[in-house]
Amino acid sequence: MPTAVPLNIAPDGAARNDDVATLLEVRGLQKSFAGNIVLSGVDLSLAAGEVHAIVGENGAGKSTLIKLLAGVYQPDAGQIFMHGREMRLPSPRSAFDCGIVCIHQELSLAPHLSAEENIFLGHFPRTRLGTIDRRTVRQRTKELLDRLAISIDQKRPIGELSIAQQQMIEIAKAISLEAKVLILDEPTAVLDEPMVKTLFALLRRLKAQGIGVIFISHHLEEIFRVADRVTVLRDGSRTGQSAVADIDQNWLVARMIGRDFPAHALHSRKSGELALELTGLSLHGAFADVTFSVRQGEIVGLAGLVGAGRSEVAQAIVGVVRPTAGQIRVFGREVRISDPNVAAHLGIAYVTEDRKAFGLLPNRAVRENATISNLARFSRFGLLQLGQEKSFVRGIIERLDVRLSGMEAEIQNLSGGNQQKVLIGRALAVEPRILIFDEPTRGVDIGAKSEIYKFIEEIVAGGVAVVLISSELEEILRLADRVIVMRRGRIAATLPRAEANETNIMRAAALAGDASAMDSL
Amino acid sequence: MSAGATKKSASLSTVAAVWTRGGALMALLLLVAVASFLSHRFLTIPNLLNVLRQVAIVGILALGMTFVILTRGIDLSVGAILGMSVVIYAGLLEHNGMLVAIPLGLGAAVVAGLVNGAGIAYAGVPPFIMTLGMLSFARGLAFIYTGGTPIPILSESFYDLGNGYLFGVPIPTLILIAVLIVSAIVLARTPFGRCIYGIGSNEDAARLSGVPVRRYKTLVYAISGGVSGLAGLVYASQLSIGTPIAGQGYELDAIAAVVVGGTSLFGGQGSVFGTFIGTLIIGVLANILNLTGVDPFVQQLFKGVLIVVAVFIMSRSNRA
Repeated sequence: MPTAVPLNIAPDGAARNDDVATLLEVRGLQKSFAGNIVLSGVDLSLAAGEVHAIVGENGAGKSTLIKLLAGVYQPDAGQIFMHGREMRLPSPRSAFDCGIVCIHQELSLAPHLSAEENIFLGHFPRTRLGTIDRRTVRQRTKELLDRLAISIDQKRPIGELSIAQQQMIEIAKAISLEAKVLILDEPTAVLDEPMVKTLFALLRRLKAQGIGVIFISHHLEEIFRVADRVTVLRDGSRTGQSAVADIDQNWLVARMIGRDFPAHALHSRKSGELALELTGLSLHGAFADVTFSVRQGEIVGLAGLVGAGRSEVAQAIVGVVRPTAGQIRVFGREVRISDPNVAAHLGIAYVTEDRKAFGLLPNRAVRENATISNLARFSRFGLLQLGQEKSFVRGIIERLDVRLSGMEAEIQNLSGGNQQKVLIGRALAVEPRILIFDEPTRGVDIGAKSEIYKFIEEIVAGGVAVVLISSELEEILRLADRVIVMRRGRIAATLPRAEANETNIMRAAALAGDASAMDSL
Repeated sequence: MSAGATKKSASLSTVAAVWTRGGALMALLLLVAVASFLSHRFLTIPNLLNVLRQVAIVGILALGMTFVILTRGIDLSVGAILGMSVVIYAGLLEHNGMLVAIPLGLGAAVVAGLVNGAGIAYAGVPPFIMTLGMLSFARGLAFIYTGGTPIPILSESFYDLGNGYLFGVPIPTLILIAVLIVSAIVLARTPFGRCIYGIGSNEDAARLSGVPVRRYKTLVYAISGGVSGLAGLVYASQLSIGTPIAGQGYELDAIAAVVVGGTSLFGGQGSVFGTFIGTLIIGVLANILNLTGVDPFVQQLFKGVLIVVAVFIMSRSNRA
């Protein structure tokens, strides 16, 4: 296993030692793939006890930068200093040995093991007989979790904990392994507001203990809540760096997209006939008595905290799960949707919130990903008409401005925003009359986000009925004609556009004595 | 004809798959070069036709297996289904003639495949276990049907199926090529074939996209079963005997051919042309070992090493 190699201390590297607080310093980092420069001359520094945010659109070079720091990629040029010493990081292991730990969105914990087992996995303390010293494990885990003020049942299998709790265990594990620099890659993408709050509280405690944190997020307001400094990347170059206290969101956005964030006037939409009606829809253990309807040309927003049962309602509509009671009507006709292909035949399409698990065919071409939902449309006499298929995909690529090297590229090599656009294209292939978006901009950068919004507005104008599930209030408020707020599996409020605002929605979503979600807004 | 179809399919699959297949093809050419260097008899028309005739049975099985492995499944019962169909052909030919024997033998093979598919797709039994059960069951049926003693086949017209020539090409080879072409078209050009890749790439995503996953998975095992029955037809004819142990261990040869041909055991990537090349690699290797007089027992060792090395190289090239 290759390990970190401290190079000769450069003269100016020695000078850097005076500044003991600087943990990590990066100078002139450069990387290209197959001739495309994805990172050019990026500088970055991180002090002990600092949270340094990195923002940028997808494709701006954030992931590449992280992977260079985590030893996954090797830079073409530039230097990385840890404590003033120049390091070469030939492997993730070597970065780890330097104290740099990257925590990805997809956690790398063993779900059947408990928190304490996960934390000590690979380096269990042993008794004299060589068996695992359970008592020490328990004791040290308790100390660690206490120190970080993480309160969970450390003996429970980690798969039974919430994603936020799992994330905290992963962070605790990194700290137990003497991590000095934590890189958090979009840690909040899968968290709801109360969980985000808990995570940020943990980050503040880490700061107090001298840990440096590099924080990636698409949510700009989070930068102002938790970060000390921010670096903006665009097209592989640094376009701005500042103390967070000195700037505002407009400053960030201008540097990220190189233009002002376009303001959108609210259009009043003309809605048509009833497209989808749910009456008393229930699924035991997930949601109960859900009644609402959506008209053609209308967007109904489903707001609520994570776990309120919104995605399950969507899954029941598209036939992934079977409701235990209630009715679904599609254009006035009562239907039983036992399978997603039944939903597709009825003209109902669903864009999943979990691209990786339920969306992507990762090792297949973009073209195949886009058309898998309705191959009959591209077939004649049982044979696929590749010309028709390609022209459809070309249309999607143009209409949604998907950036890729070609439609034969494997979809797993695209950025999150571009993957999402292809999956929206897949939903369009069924020529849907009812379209359900579940967190359509999760893990998607600002530029792609506003394009997706524009696109949703476009298809609604074309008469499609849209259900929009989103945990981002801004998104719901911007797009929805009506907002239905769910709490613990039930509809807590139905708000017409005029009455929908952040306070009303959050109040309904978090009413049951759960004031913490309110405070954070 | 097959070359033209190869090209088209190449343009359809991903760059990685092309690379993998290209790698397998290069390995085959290299092997052919070495073989012709080692033996003067290798690069002669009669010998090459002989190789093509010898690989036909396993080659046909491997084509069906490719469908299964593309969905991220496995079919361990192909050898046993072949054996079951062989004794049915043998048992019925004498008194009932080909028109009864062949449909019933093939039909039984398809039914066995359907049972596999239903158990896997609808009852949720893991493919490894379901087809392992079928391996035992179908083989057991073959033993019960014959009472353990082989049934001789006397029909002369049936004999031609496995031993005859058409346009100078062995009939089993023509059957293999026909199956190859049909499966290539199905995989590359039909919605069903496209969905096979989708299911193998991400079954949940395919289901959510409206792919009838259970039906298609069932169909895939039915195809594998049916193709095993077809291979059984060639087998029964070539050997003129219906022995209940026919095809024992063939499942491993078929899986080896698929894997050497670059189809990923993790599903969603690969092609029947790769499998065809994999079949030829294994066939040519066996042939050259025979020609140079290597002990058949030692040949087993070569095959074992070949499979592991091939998969190792491919996993490397895929990563790069």
